[in-house]
Amino acid sequence: MSEMTKEALRGGAHTRELVAAGIRRRYRAERRFRLFGLTAIVSALVFMLLLFVSIIGKGYTAFLQTEIRLPIHYDVQVIDPQGLRDAAEMRRANYGKLYRDGIRSLFPDVESRQDKRKLNSLVSSGATFEIRDEVVKNPALIGKSQEIWVPASDDVDMFVKGKIDRTSPENERRMTDLEIAWIDALVADHRIETRFNWRFFTQGDSREPELSGIWGAAVGSFLTMLVTLLLSFPLGVATAVYLEEFAPKNRWTDIIEVNINNLAAIPSIVFGLLGLAVFLQFFGLPRSATVVGGLVLTLMTLPTIIIAARVSLKSVPPSIREAALGLGASKMQMVTNDVLPLAMPGILTGTIIGMGRALGETAPLLMIGMVAFIVDVPGGFSDPATVLPVQIYIWADSAERAFVERTSAAIIVLLTFLILMNAAAVYLRSKFERRW
Amino acid sequence: METVTVRDTLHNSLDIRQAEGDATSMPAKIQAQKTNVHYGDKHALKDVVLDVREGEVTSFIGPSGCGKSTFLRCLNRMNDTIDGCRVSGTVLMDGEDIYDPKIDVVQLRARVGMVFQKPNPFPKSIYDNVAYGPRIHGLAANKDELDEIVLISLEKAGLLAEVKDRMDSPGTGLSGGQQQRLCIARAIAVNPEVILMDEPCSALDPIATAKIEELIDELRENYTIVIVTHSMQQAARVSQRTAFFHLGELIEVGDTEQIFTNPKHKLTQGYITGRFG
Repeated sequence: MSEMTKEALRGGAHTRELVAAGIRRRYRAERRFRLFGLTAIVSALVFMLLLFVSIIGKGYTAFLQTEIRLPIHYDVQVIDPQGLRDAAEMRRANYGKLYRDGIRSLFPDVESRQDKRKLNSLVSSGATFEIRDEVVKNPALIGKSQEIWVPASDDVDMFVKGKIDRTSPENERRMTDLEIAWIDALVADHRIETRFNWRFFTQGDSREPELSGIWGAAVGSFLTMLVTLLLSFPLGVATAVYLEEFAPKNRWTDIIEVNINNLAAIPSIVFGLLGLAVFLQFFGLPRSATVVGGLVLTLMTLPTIIIAARVSLKSVPPSIREAALGLGASKMQMVTNDVLPLAMPGILTGTIIGMGRALGETAPLLMIGMVAFIVDVPGGFSDPATVLPVQIYIWADSAERAFVERTSAAIIVLLTFLILMNAAAVYLRSKFERRW
Repeated sequence: METVTVRDTLHNSLDIRQAEGDATSMPAKIQAQKTNVHYGDKHALKDVVLDVREGEVTSFIGPSGCGKSTFLRCLNRMNDTIDGCRVSGTVLMDGEDIYDPKIDVVQLRARVGMVFQKPNPFPKSIYDNVAYGPRIHGLAANKDELDEIVLISLEKAGLLAEVKDRMDSPGTGLSGGQQQRLCIARAIAVNPEVILMDEPCSALDPIATAKIEELIDELRENYTIVIVTHSMQQAARVSQRTAFFHLGELIEVGDTEQIFTNPKHKLTQGYITGRFG
């Protein structure tokens, strides 16, 4: 025994001194630890703030779209020369001429062929379809004239939003001086405005940035998630309940448990390859379809749900099981009446977190062809579709300047969905949580 | 006391069993005949031979780990739910072997209710707690009958007066003693023949304990009760017969008065006088 400990054992004043010396060190350690924690949280918040500021700062302009007000004469000669008013016939007419005539009437002194083409390109080619749809819907317009708002081309849109610098040399920017002069004239005439970009929320993808929308990808994501949820939730909960409550504890269930845990750690692209080999090659399911995407994401989400469900089933106190069994409940009654309701908040939280991961998943969907350029909004589970994260990937990869803001806008939409899902998880947990 | 050999123990308990056969005041409700329990490799209960008589309170006493709770759980086959637990030998209830494959364990547990050490009401309303058993067994034809069963059960458990204004509030919000009486009411609602109680008062304060003991005394009129307890005073107060377990063996069983005043076995004497345990 050293002198120190002998002293300490003797007690009295010396002990108090030793404790006092140590106590300062102990408090210092605690303060240091708190400081570390605080630093960690603050830096996490700063990064999150940076992320949001950068994405929202880049993306919010995509919710607005520059439009041009044009005088349109719905010329009978162009739309319906025979006067049949046949919808199919009218759809085939050359509506491009109508808006081209419209913008040329604003600048009658443009003569050269090249300049005329430039002038036409101020307006998005999508104007053709919007005018056509308007006429088909309301044939009474034929022969009349009116002023309508049509989308401007993506370059005009970028210029009006200040993304193209007019002070830079002409050969370094996408707008010639002549085009800028036209735009200034239109602005002076109150013919150019940025208006709410409803196309972004109602259209599918497009080669033209000003016409592209997130709706196709959102519907694709929704259908895919629906398939994933409908398959993975019942399968996952049933598996967890069986393993936790009914299965005998032996080597086989141990092997199954280890394998489920392994599945949760498998890179998602591997599930994509599996889906390609099994669902597309072997079962011959349609390529790019939401049903296949849902199946692949089910494979990926299942282990997450099973593990979360098993943990929350385990956390139900055994006294509840004993109470039910002691009253003569069958095992099934015990599970459905008592154990599952108590485990449900945890199961739901795990499910929503798994679904959130599936919603943001890109890699496995690339393997089954959901990366295709798809214009139409999917109408069913077997229609070709894409999903939000893949849409972000496609746009981020596109050359046009205007796709940059749309990429950020799509990220905002995706993040909104994820935040809503996580909020739902928190809400469900606090609503169903019971204490005992 | 520690020098007592196994042979002595067996010999003595055999004597006691034979002696016990003569004093038949009540018919036996449950008869354990050479019941053995193994947990994996551990031999937890060895050749227990014991009668539980109808309409009496039988208490099991003994030091921790002596097998008294294990034996209690044999009587409604709650041991079935434990992995690696094997029960051998026969346990007769009204002359029928409850470990016979033909016996349905759900039906058995409807006849043999159980109250646990820690009050374990369901996280549901007081009403739903008591109605749980009648509901799963389909005992009530309609809502009125169910209401009646719930009220009568709460009345019998001496809880009605305290909770009749808040039948819809959660059972987990009651005090510990009230929760335990709720669990007793819940067991009574199934109208069992036997009620097993596994240290029902060990988590309760003395006043709540006194109430439960009083209740046990009242319930004796209608039910056969088996109670495991760590408190010898409690065994002496509530039970008519007492069984003393030690290291997985039934050492001695007899009238409570005899066990506490004139134990036949040295181990029993040592335990009740506080020399070990």
